[in-house]
Amino acid sequence: MTVSLQTEPIDVVAEYAALVGEAPGAAVATFTGYVRNYTGEDPVGALELEHYPEMALSVLEELGQQAAERFGLLRWRIVHRFGVLPVSETIVWVGAMADHRGEAISACECMMDTLKTDAPFWKREQGPSGARWVASCEHDGQRRERWKRSEERT
Amino acid sequence: MSITIKLFASLREALGESEFQLELGAIPVENEVSSVITVASIKAALSARGSQWHDALNQPNLVHALNHKVVYVDAIVADGDELALFPPMTGG
Repeated sequence: MTVSLQTEPIDVVAEYAALVGEAPGAAVATFTGYVRNYTGEDPVGALELEHYPEMALSVLEELGQQAAERFGLLRWRIVHRFGVLPVSETIVWVGAMADHRGEAISACECMMDTLKTDAPFWKREQGPSGARWVASCEHDGQRRERWKRSEERT
Repeated sequence: MSITIKLFASLREALGESEFQLELGAIPVENEVSSVITVASIKAALSARGSQWHDALNQPNLVHALNHKVVYVDAIVADGDELALFPPMTGG
């Protein structure tokens, strides 16, 4: 299926409709990520997302195709924004259609966990005391590893 | 014989450059036997530009992507390649 990198807000209703189409599979799962208005106790005014366009596109296409093969997806779609994103706006949307709920839900989670650590995007938060780069999170790395380990088991 | 270097996020900011060409002729080869240039050779050559470059390029967890694929520092670099250097990714 397809990947979109865009500056404009994600139209989740249109994305859902396009994913499902006229002949839905038995199970559709989606995930939408939004800009938070805080990190820990620090307020966030907006989020800047820097990206490496050519690599981001190839990494997202590859991880979508891998998820499709692994979970037997009928359809999938990944949309990721870049640029300056105001609080409460969408950042990322993933959708997966499969024959059963387990595969659809797992595919969404796998795509999100992989995307977090493998796709070249970098967040910088704008707050009252200026802008600061968001540090990578150990928890995200552990979630990513979980999918690698289960790949090796199967 | 040159490659394109791209820097992103905090690394781009720290070094004040986002993209430049690097002549491979000026890079010392890995050793006399193999005579190849690796990502490590490139990093060593750029690190010699000054303490700011040295510190930025030798920070732990620096990621190297050669032609859009994440690689280890022993990856071999060839004419026309694109080598991107950046901190761990934080998308999603």
